[in-house]
Amino acid sequence: MKISKLSAAAIGAVLAITAVGAAAHHSFATEFDRNKPIRLEGKVVMFEWVNPHSWIHIDVRRNNRTERWRVEGGAPSALLRRGWNRNSLPAGTDIIVDAFQARDGDTRASAAEIRFPNGRELSLGNPTTEAVAAAARRAAGN
Amino acid sequence: MMNSSKLALLASAMALAACTTTAGPISAQSARPAASAPASAAAVARIGDAPNLNGVWQTMNTANWNLEPHSAAANPLERGDRLLGAIGAIPAGLGVVEGGAIPYKPEAMERLNSNRANVIAHDPEAACYLPGIPRATYMDMPFQIIQGDGDDILMAYEYASANRVINMEEVGIPPIDTWMGTSYGQWEGDTLVVTTLAQGPGLVKLPAGEMVEGVTWLDRAGNYLTNHATVTERFTPNGPNHMTYSVTIDDPTIYTRPWTISMPLYRHMEANAQLLEFKCVPFSERLLYGDLIEETGSN
Repeated sequence: MKISKLSAAAIGAVLAITAVGAAAHHSFATEFDRNKPIRLEGKVVMFEWVNPHSWIHIDVRRNNRTERWRVEGGAPSALLRRGWNRNSLPAGTDIIVDAFQARDGDTRASAAEIRFPNGRELSLGNPTTEAVAAAARRAAGN
Repeated sequence: MMNSSKLALLASAMALAACTTTAGPISAQSARPAASAPASAAAVARIGDAPNLNGVWQTMNTANWNLEPHSAAANPLERGDRLLGAIGAIPAGLGVVEGGAIPYKPEAMERLNSNRANVIAHDPEAACYLPGIPRATYMDMPFQIIQGDGDDILMAYEYASANRVINMEEVGIPPIDTWMGTSYGQWEGDTLVVTTLAQGPGLVKLPAGEMVEGVTWLDRAGNYLTNHATVTERFTPNGPNHMTYSVTIDDPTIYTRPWTISMPLYRHMEANAQLLEFKCVPFSERLLYGDLIEETGSN
């Protein structure tokens, strides 16, 4: 059984973050469905600073129960470049996320940005999902 | 964080380091006449205002097995002992901790005992996770220092291709915890003083899938520090081919006081001295995922 991984030794990557948890670099389309957008509103439970994608764990009230969703963001290096740090998304923060659901039906989704109740938006540094979201907005605007 | 000046440093310094391992001093602008300089000072090459630390270096001790004094012993795993015999055994060491023992607080003992009960199984080294600082220095594999004139300094480690940039600036507040921490460096005379903060593995996967809050291990014996630690390293040249490496670790959450380790660093002198590749993720697959892999014989 071979597990291919992202190489962490690419010449820009001197942020020494482990790549052990990395799956093969996947395309958006194989894992998430651009035709299944979902709006998730809830409280942040935790934020995972891992490669290749960070993950926001949030508790969302849906279908008369509390569902634990994991929302994919960008890589830690992309987040740091956008000014994120350890205090950016504390547990208990209320957020609203427009995301694309996983194909396998799991409570997992990919997002380009998050919104706070006061309207402030924060980019997740997730370029492929940003492109998908932009295409969806263009299609909706036509 | 990478910006274009660091990228330029990396590219040029890799080329620079490739030809300076055992070569003569980089010619620097020096107004001092050679005849009047003491032999040892002239023998340490300089780059700009600082000693030239470029090269491939390695420690020569058993610190990675256990920082504290220890006798030779069989492999700590019963299986390891049976399968590996003397090859898997632990060599003796006089210890590198000044004062002999690491001054743990009572609160630190729960995690320490858990580590000790699970050596190798929970050791980040066995999983090919990143080693952190100072363990990366004495991993018993070479590392390379890539130093330009006034730029940030890069240290590249053969183990797992780990690396870290030493930001040559005032100590700051690292934005997040990372496996290798964030390092800030400055020169005190001819000593490179490096302060490393925010070493935190976060959630770590153990063999058989359990996820736990990780800590940085200091050796295979289970000694550790937390993300509250301040690690201060001092690299002091001691002639052209040796350095004294001294590290003070201050972590008020688990130690009663700061404590220090000290050891020599030796330059690799062979003409073809270089880091080889030790990308160990495939070597740790069966340790971490063995319960998921069907051992059907092929592959």
